[in-house]
Amino acid sequence: MQSSEVISVNIWQMIISILNLLILYAILKKLLFKPVQNMLVQRQNIIKTNFDNAKLAEAEAEKSKKLYEEKLGQADTEAAQIIKDAKQKAERKSDKIIQNAKDKADGIVSQAKTDANLEYQKVQADIRNEITQVSTMLSEKILEREINTDDHRKLIDSFIENLGDDYDSDQ
Amino acid sequence: MKKRKYSAKFKAVDAFLIACMILPILFGIMLYVMFTPESSGIEISGARIYFTLNTPVQPLPITESQVNSWIVIISVFFLCLYLTHGLSATNPTKRQHIVEWALEQTKKLVSDNMGEFFDEFAPFVAAIMMLSAFSSLITLVGLYPPTSDLNVVGGWALLVFVLITYYKFKCGAVHYLKSFAEPVAFLTPLNVISEFATPVSMAFRHYGNILSGSVISVLVAASLQELSKIIFGKLPGFLGSIPFLQIGLPAVLSIYFDVFSGLLQAFIFAMLTMLYISSGFPEEDYKAKLLKKSAVKANT
Repeated sequence: MQSSEVISVNIWQMIISILNLLILYAILKKLLFKPVQNMLVQRQNIIKTNFDNAKLAEAEAEKSKKLYEEKLGQADTEAAQIIKDAKQKAERKSDKIIQNAKDKADGIVSQAKTDANLEYQKVQADIRNEITQVSTMLSEKILEREINTDDHRKLIDSFIENLGDDYDSDQ
Repeated sequence: MKKRKYSAKFKAVDAFLIACMILPILFGIMLYVMFTPESSGIEISGARIYFTLNTPVQPLPITESQVNSWIVIISVFFLCLYLTHGLSATNPTKRQHIVEWALEQTKKLVSDNMGEFFDEFAPFVAAIMMLSAFSSLITLVGLYPPTSDLNVVGGWALLVFVLITYYKFKCGAVHYLKSFAEPVAFLTPLNVISEFATPVSMAFRHYGNILSGSVISVLVAASLQELSKIIFGKLPGFLGSIPFLQIGLPAVLSIYFDVFSGLLQAFIFAMLTMLYISSGFPEEDYKAKLLKKSAVKANT
C-alpha cells in the first residue's frame, strides 16, 4: 500500500478540498441555517399575532370596564333618587294620615262636646219640666185648689233657678 | 410547556438519520482495516493512497484524507437533517434548543468579530469550524485526520485568501493596490509578502498542529512499547508481551492532541478567517463609495 509524503502539494487535492468546504457551506446554509431561520421568523410572527390579540383584548376589556363603571354610577344615582322619592312620598302620606286622624279626632271631640251640651240642656229642660209638673201636681193636691198655673210656674221656676245655682256652685 | 409526543414514524426517521450519520464512519473504518498492511512498525507517513487518477498537470491520488473528508461531509449532512427534523415554532424538541443556541452563538461570534456587513458569513464560518473540528475528531475512531494533510488545509486557506482579496477589491483595483503602500510607501514589499504569508501561515499552523499531535502520539506509544518490553519482558508467558506502560499515558495524550488541539485549531482557523476577511475589507471607504453612487443615481 502506497502512502503519500508527509508534506506533499497536489493541486487537485486542494481543489477537491475547496469544493468540499463549499459543499459543506451549501449544506449548512440550506439544511441548517435556512430552516432554523424560517422557524424563528414563524415563531416571531406567532408571538406578534398573540401580542396583538392580547392588546386588542385588553383594549376591549378596558372599554367594557368603563361602560360597566358608567352604568354602575348611573344605577347608584338612580337608586338614590328612587329612595329619596319614596321617602318623600311616604313622609307626605304619613303626614296626611296623621293630619286626617287629628282632624277626625278633633271632629269627634267637638261633636261629643256639642252632643253632651245639647243633652245636658235637654236634660235640664226635661228635669225642669218634670219638676214643674210634679210640684204643680203636688201643690194642687196639697192646696186642693186651683191656682193660677202661670203664677205657680213662675214661682217654681225661680225656686229651681236657685236650686240650679246651688247645684252649679256646688260643682 | 407540555411534553412532546413522538409518533412511531418520527422515531423511525430519527433512527434512520442517526444510522446514516454512523454508517459512513463505519465504512471508513472498514476501508482502513482492509487497506492497512499487516506489518505495523513505527511509520510516519502521509495519507494512504487508495488509487490514483490520471489527470492533467498532476496525477490525482485519491487518499485517505479525501475519503475521510467526504465521510465527514456525509455525516454532517445527515446530522443537519437530524437536527432540523421536527422543527417547530411553538413546541420545540430538545435538540431544537441545542440547535437554536448553537446557531445563535455562531451568529453572535460572526457579528462580533466581523461586523454587521458580514452577517451572511455565519454559515461559512460554521462550515469551516465543523469541517475542521470533525476532520480532527475523526481520529477518535482511528481514522486518518484529513486536517493533517497539507493539501486539505491548504485548499481552505486558499479559499479564504480568495475571499480576503475579493473583499479588498470591493472598492476597486486602484484602492486595492494603494492599500499595499500603507502606512508608508517603502513598506510595500513587506506588505506583499505578508499578504501571501497569510494563507500559508494559516494552512501550516493548522496542518502542523494536527500532524505533530499524531507524530508525538505515535512516538510516545512506540517508545512506551519498547520501554515496557525492556522492563516487563522477562515476565513468564504471555504476560511479557503485554505493553503495560502503554496503559494510560497515550489516552491522556490523545485527549489533548485529538480532542483539545483539534477543536482549538478549528476555532483558531475560523477566527483567523473572520478577522482577516473583515480587517482587509475597507468598510468605511466602501460605504462612502455606495453613498456617492446612490447620490449620482439620484441626480440622473
